[in-house]
Amino acid sequence: MTMRLRICHTTRFTYDEPAYQSHNQIRMRPLESADQSCVEFALEITPAGETLEFQDYYGNHVAAVSIHDPHDSLTIMARSLVERVSEPAPSTDAMSFEQFLRDDRQRILSQYDFLSASPYAPFSDRMRKFFWIARPRTDEDVAGYVQRVVAFVRDQFYYRPGVTKVHSTVDEILTTGAGVCQDFAHLTIAILRLAGVPARYVSGYLAPRRHPSGKTPVGSQASHAWLEAQLPYQGWIGFDPTNGCRADFRHIRVAVGRDYSDVPPLRGVYRSFGRLQTMSVDLKLESEAGENPAGDGLSQRQEQQ
Amino acid sequence: MLRRVANNLFWAARNLERAEWRARLVDVNYHLLIETSPRDSAPWEPLLAIFGEIEPFAARYSIADERSVLNFFTLDPENPNSIRNCINVARENLRALRHHVSSEFWLDVNTLYLTAQSWTPAVFDSPGVYAFFSELNDWFYRIRGIRHSTLSRDLAYDFMRIGIMLERAEDVSRMLDVKYHFLMPRLEDVGSAADMMQWAAVLRSASALEAYRMRFGNSIRLENVVDILLFDSAFPRSARYSIDAMAESLRRIASKGDAPRPIPQGVEELQKELIIENAPKAIAGGLHEFILHIQESCDAIFAQIYDEYLKTE
Amino acid sequence: MSATASELSRMMPASSAYCCREGLFDEMIELAKSPPERCGSIAHGLLSMPSARLAELWSRADLMFRRRGATFNVYGEQGGVERILPFDPIPRIIDAETWTQLEAGLIQRVRALNAFIGDVYGEGAIMKDGVVPRDLVLSCPQFRREAAGIRPPLGNFITVGGIDLVRGPDGRFFVLEDNVRTPSGVSYVLENRVVMTRLMPDLMRAAAVRSIEHYPADLLQCLIEMAPRQNARPTIALLTPGPFNSAFFEHVFLSQQLGIDMVEGQDLLCMDHKLYMKTVHGLRQIDVLYRRIDDDFLDPLVFRPDSMLGVAGLTSVLRAGNVALANGIGTGVADDKAIYAYTPAMIRYYLGETPILPIVETYLMRDPAARDEVLNHIDRYVIKPTGESGGYGVVIGPHASEKELEGTRARVLHDPANYIAQPVLSLSVHPTIIFDAAGTPSLEPRHIDLRPFVLLGAKPRVLPGGLSRVALRRGSLVVNSSQGGGSKDTWVLGA
Repeated sequence: MTMRLRICHTTRFTYDEPAYQSHNQIRMRPLESADQSCVEFALEITPAGETLEFQDYYGNHVAAVSIHDPHDSLTIMARSLVERVSEPAPSTDAMSFEQFLRDDRQRILSQYDFLSASPYAPFSDRMRKFFWIARPRTDEDVAGYVQRVVAFVRDQFYYRPGVTKVHSTVDEILTTGAGVCQDFAHLTIAILRLAGVPARYVSGYLAPRRHPSGKTPVGSQASHAWLEAQLPYQGWIGFDPTNGCRADFRHIRVAVGRDYSDVPPLRGVYRSFGRLQTMSVDLKLESEAGENPAGDGLSQRQEQQ
Repeated sequence: MLRRVANNLFWAARNLERAEWRARLVDVNYHLLIETSPRDSAPWEPLLAIFGEIEPFAARYSIADERSVLNFFTLDPENPNSIRNCINVARENLRALRHHVSSEFWLDVNTLYLTAQSWTPAVFDSPGVYAFFSELNDWFYRIRGIRHSTLSRDLAYDFMRIGIMLERAEDVSRMLDVKYHFLMPRLEDVGSAADMMQWAAVLRSASALEAYRMRFGNSIRLENVVDILLFDSAFPRSARYSIDAMAESLRRIASKGDAPRPIPQGVEELQKELIIENAPKAIAGGLHEFILHIQESCDAIFAQIYDEYLKTE
Repeated sequence: MSATASELSRMMPASSAYCCREGLFDEMIELAKSPPERCGSIAHGLLSMPSARLAELWSRADLMFRRRGATFNVYGEQGGVERILPFDPIPRIIDAETWTQLEAGLIQRVRALNAFIGDVYGEGAIMKDGVVPRDLVLSCPQFRREAAGIRPPLGNFITVGGIDLVRGPDGRFFVLEDNVRTPSGVSYVLENRVVMTRLMPDLMRAAAVRSIEHYPADLLQCLIEMAPRQNARPTIALLTPGPFNSAFFEHVFLSQQLGIDMVEGQDLLCMDHKLYMKTVHGLRQIDVLYRRIDDDFLDPLVFRPDSMLGVAGLTSVLRAGNVALANGIGTGVADDKAIYAYTPAMIRYYLGETPILPIVETYLMRDPAARDEVLNHIDRYVIKPTGESGGYGVVIGPHASEKELEGTRARVLHDPANYIAQPVLSLSVHPTIIFDAAGTPSLEPRHIDLRPFVLLGAKPRVLPGGLSRVALRRGSLVVNSSQGGGSKDTWVLGA
């Protein structure tokens, strides 16, 4: 099953007084992997600026853009065409935690970044207490545990924008009981790390389900956040705690890191005599004609019923 | 040279010049008041008017007596242009750039600064106003002498000189303007002893009394005062001399870049005007308007200097 | 100390004998044992100076520093002379053979550290091969992921290194600590030499003391060699945090000695992935930035966003290859106190050589066995937090109170990864002028260390000698300047 998805992600900033000497890092180019390839990518920035492309520590594509002259607005448009094949069926091989943790010395070394606390997912007292509630049993299968945690987070917390902020850590969602996909991902990651399962944050897009009428809705959504856990026998497998499911081929991976701090789609500093910056985001995700974007055969059947 | 450095040097020098002018003006006018009988109820007003500080003063001091005026001009931390504040600003601007100026220059400015921190209103009692300003004057002369004799005529020197000369041109013209305005109503006193003393004080405020006598003799006449203070190319505190000196430094700075650049607009015009105009013409055409024109030209020139050389944002 | 030399000479008694301390290596006494035609007679002469001569030397030196005070130091409020690091006129002498060994060891060490830095920000081979634990590197606060993939010119992440050395009871030199981020102190070395040359010109000539006045030229040469654009005259600038920094004097001094511009963050601008400074005649591109500010403040785009000391976009300029930094981003991973334990392994791994300079035995508190051993005998060890510098947070077991030791034990148990322990090393001592209560000077032994400065350019160079620091308080082992140390001129004798 293949899907080709056209993505147009436009971010626009306007300033009350002109901005100048604007320096930015953009992480909007989808990653390449076994099941995802970025067939086309173009970054259009208005006003134009000198661009330097490189890959960061985690292998994410970064465009460093500087705009020197004064400008009243800054528009960043990232257009890509991504080809996604469906995930292989999950392995059924099981490994208990007892066995998993017995061999963990090597894992601690090689996956250090994804097993340690990070800026948005600190191992605070509150976090540790919450982990205790959600801790695994020694005989529990690791992959099963991860699924259990993902479902648990989905059920225990409300998805509600506006409660937490961009810079909220896990302590915020633990206090308020609500957050957005970023918070759900951070929380799940923290639990898994405390259990000894390497977990990394993924920033990207979630393609919409195909409407039963056959037309693909052109939605206006924001970037999406989920996580990947390194499971025995399977390697890095994606999970989406906001939707309580495994990541499937609707999940387009753009950047990975320890947490949000490593992968913001846009990070920048600029100078201005004014104080206000307003940001608007427009995201269009369309499947290319002729391919089936929505789910696997099973869910299609379900929709037709 | 870094723009920040040039900017700091400019303001350091300008503030020192400003402090010096104020010191001289307060000193001269203080003694003038002592020596003449005040004719009106606001004897300090002309002095406050010269600096445009009538309102700021009134806002914080209820009585315009000797004590409060001296304090306001010399020590008041709330008056951004008090002599001590000007010294403070100059020293602060120089502190991080000591390696751009000679060690003797820095040492002197710094020592003056340290001395100024110890001033209290008691300095006007003992050693007394005369002694205080006399010593302060010596400080400024010494600092100028050290600057003159220990600094190479490099960019640092020229940026400081621009600051000094702009300040000087503005201060001398403003002083003349205000004094003229205050003194002119007393037309019936033209030629009187009181009038003479007033104009002598004006000249002394610019250290111009002896230079005046050497050129014009003992009789003090308005036209000649205007001449020496505005148009005299040889007297170092005249507006003309100051503008010419500033222009010379600007030319030197412009010539040191990688490509030849023009000096700011308006400099040459102002120089020419000060050559073509003379005292009788300026008085006939309205001295106040003429002086206002000089000041506006200076403002416009400074704005360009700032944009061209000093601004870092 | 305001008495004149002549007053002092009237006060003092007959020359007092200099006593060595039991069990300690006294550098001057050991030197005095050498044959007279080598350093023997020099050392003898210095040790037997009468009190009057000591007083005279001290006050002449004091006067000279006061006079020079107009040109050096004093960014404090009063504007008076405040020399941060007091000077002792008795020179610290190192003979030629000892120096040859030290020099080779220092070059070897800095080359290995430099290779390590390049490796951890690149392939990570030393971690893959299990020589250095990967988690130790990644958990180091100075490991800067933002620097991954940046290749500096000449492969030099380190351009200037200050390697702190101490001597044990048998006189052997040990490396105490590496400083490869923004090592300071060379300005004191150069100023001390200027004063010593006037204080003891004949003795210096007779000893054939190796010159150090070429250091600024050597440093400048290394910086020039780092320039990405190898045109006739690359533009080099020194980035200072400004006059409120305690090392500001050194920044001014070095920029004057090197003949380069000294800039602050506000003077800089990154544009089109190049670095410029704002001059009165327009923007001038900078090729090499000798930066004396920490990584955290270097680039608000990738590091601390509130920093005013650096310039936004600098990391991109570096990545684009349009500027070289001395020293590079992330070098702190190599001078981390825990990584220090692996430095001999680094030398073997990257250079295939046996380390010439030994390190002090170091135990990582994250290792449970080591931790137990140390905490059970905590009064025998020096406990150091890995994150601090300047000697702060260091607890010296034998000198600490029961309460301090309890507190230290608790801190280590709470955060073991942040602590290392080393056996207490009896540092060597050196005769230093100490005034008694009556103001009479005499020589007393004081603990001493050495910070040589190593330059990596196209080829490595070491400044002969370095900064010798003495702990002025009797018995104190802490020589760092910010906590009551003094300095001496260091003489490396000609062969």
